[in-house]
Amino acid sequence: MSLSTEMARSIRWTWRRHGILSIGGVLVGLVVLAALGADLIAPHSPYELDVARMLQPPSLVNWLGTDEVGRDVFSRTIYAARISVEVALVAVGVGLVGGTLIGVFAAYFGGFVDMALMRLMELLFSVPAILLAVILMASLGTNILNAMIAIGIIFIPGFARLARATTMDALRQQYIEAARVIGMSDIRIIFREILPNILAPSLVEAAVAFAYAVLLESALSFLGLGAQPPEPSWGNMINTGRGFMAQAPWLGIVPGTALFLCVLGFNLLGDGLRDLLDPHLRESQ
Amino acid sequence: MIRLILTRLALFVPTLLAASLILFIAINVVPGSAARSALGIDATPQAIMRFEALNGLDQPLHVQYFEWLGKAVKGDFGRSFQNRVDVGPEILKRLPVTLELALLAFLVANVIAVPLGAIAAYRHGHPADSVITTCATILGAVPNFWLATLLVLVFSLKLRLLPAGGFTPFLQDPARNLTQMILPAVSLGLVSSALLLRIMRASMLEVLSSDYIRTARAKGAPDGTVITRHALRNATIPYLTVGAVEFGFLFGGVVIIEDIFRLPGIGSLVLVGIINRDYPVLIGSALVVTVAVLAANMLVDIIASLLDPRQVHSKSGAA
Repeated sequence: MSLSTEMARSIRWTWRRHGILSIGGVLVGLVVLAALGADLIAPHSPYELDVARMLQPPSLVNWLGTDEVGRDVFSRTIYAARISVEVALVAVGVGLVGGTLIGVFAAYFGGFVDMALMRLMELLFSVPAILLAVILMASLGTNILNAMIAIGIIFIPGFARLARATTMDALRQQYIEAARVIGMSDIRIIFREILPNILAPSLVEAAVAFAYAVLLESALSFLGLGAQPPEPSWGNMINTGRGFMAQAPWLGIVPGTALFLCVLGFNLLGDGLRDLLDPHLRESQ
Repeated sequence: MIRLILTRLALFVPTLLAASLILFIAINVVPGSAARSALGIDATPQAIMRFEALNGLDQPLHVQYFEWLGKAVKGDFGRSFQNRVDVGPEILKRLPVTLELALLAFLVANVIAVPLGAIAAYRHGHPADSVITTCATILGAVPNFWLATLLVLVFSLKLRLLPAGGFTPFLQDPARNLTQMILPAVSLGLVSSALLLRIMRASMLEVLSSDYIRTARAKGAPDGTVITRHALRNATIPYLTVGAVEFGFLFGGVVIIEDIFRLPGIGSLVLVGIINRDYPVLIGSALVVTVAVLAANMLVDIIASLLDPRQVHSKSGAA
């Protein structure tokens, strides 16, 4: 193998290993920064109406223009990051905790418990995610808290399957046998021995789920089922912008770009973490 | 093979029943909400009681479910709370629109994913591979409803090449129908193609490094033959499985896309059901979407078994 080929391969591998993770990390960092520091970063209030400045194009005063009632689009886009991150955080938390516990209990106790819990998970999988989210929202009522719950429920089966598979692996390890021999209770074995050892793959999966949660929240808000106006959400901003695409395209383009970069960031972060932690994948690249 | 098909059909029925139960529970998760939603927050307790008695909502949930199920089996999905129209015929009227959209979108996704995924794998490590995988990564992060909005901006409002919405039945005017379906199908299919492309690339990479491909090449088979006759066929099996899951996502996505392009399909009926809090409409249309997704999964399982006879033998052996 020539030196240049080897160098190219090495660069490619370094890029694969750290580049994707870095870009993902930077994008996610920016979104989290916007969510946490919205009060400091946003130059205007996201709710302040100014009918004299309706549908103004980007300018020095309003960097990314104004919307149909004169609100600053940049400020609303920054504040919308807060809603998206909040919803995704709670939804993924519900899915991660609920799904992991179900998966671990199913694998640990086996038999009827395993069959019943995993069949239930398969049932949840049988209904398309967005459809289930939409129906749950219709039933629970359209607000942001219910969006968190609805999206969280959708994530439970995925995390449960993953946790069940990793727990099955863990149960074959000697440390679990040792814990049983010294008389540890089932609950102590689950919480002290199994959970800490199976959490890494679930956390990597959480990064990818985060991207999907942000997308689902935006889709619900786009349909008018998530964040309710005047609360800014990327989804409801894109929906509003749809009606003004001919005269004020920035109304749809700005929040859409923010949403795209956020989803891309979490996807890359998830991919990067998976590459880093999965040696099998690393060898095949 | 017949045994496998019968087994899959036998599994389809309980899965469908279970899905209907999940939908029914999800819709009735808040007791009494149907009447309050349909009549508004100012409805008197008497009006709510009358409404619940009229629609059988005063019965226990399991009684309501079995009553609804008994009728649904015969194709009777009840009547709309809003306009008392039969839900079944309304669904049948809208089903062809949604099926056409989903199939066209799936076609778009596959036309992009299969060749580009195969090329990326064949040119593994070369610039072509990097360009294709980067594009797939970027495309995979684009929300389909935003892409739809941008496509309308460019192709309808700026270039005036394609209509921004509306629907003409295919049999009435095929050319007009296809013109109206291009943007909705591309919005749905383009985003779906990203995941499918990655799966095709990964499957092809695995197949291309296997011994029988090396043997075929050693025997002097041209690259084209190796790729199309040997590699693609075997890479298709895992691809099909993911494809079925993606078809489910895609079918779920019709709810938003039909709304954007004002297509009178099942997806927009789901939204009508939600906006009007019309639960018979909602559960009927949601169930039809679920049936389509489950049927696609079953079909793919059978096709995968046809392509890979080992699956038939292992499943028959297990049964």
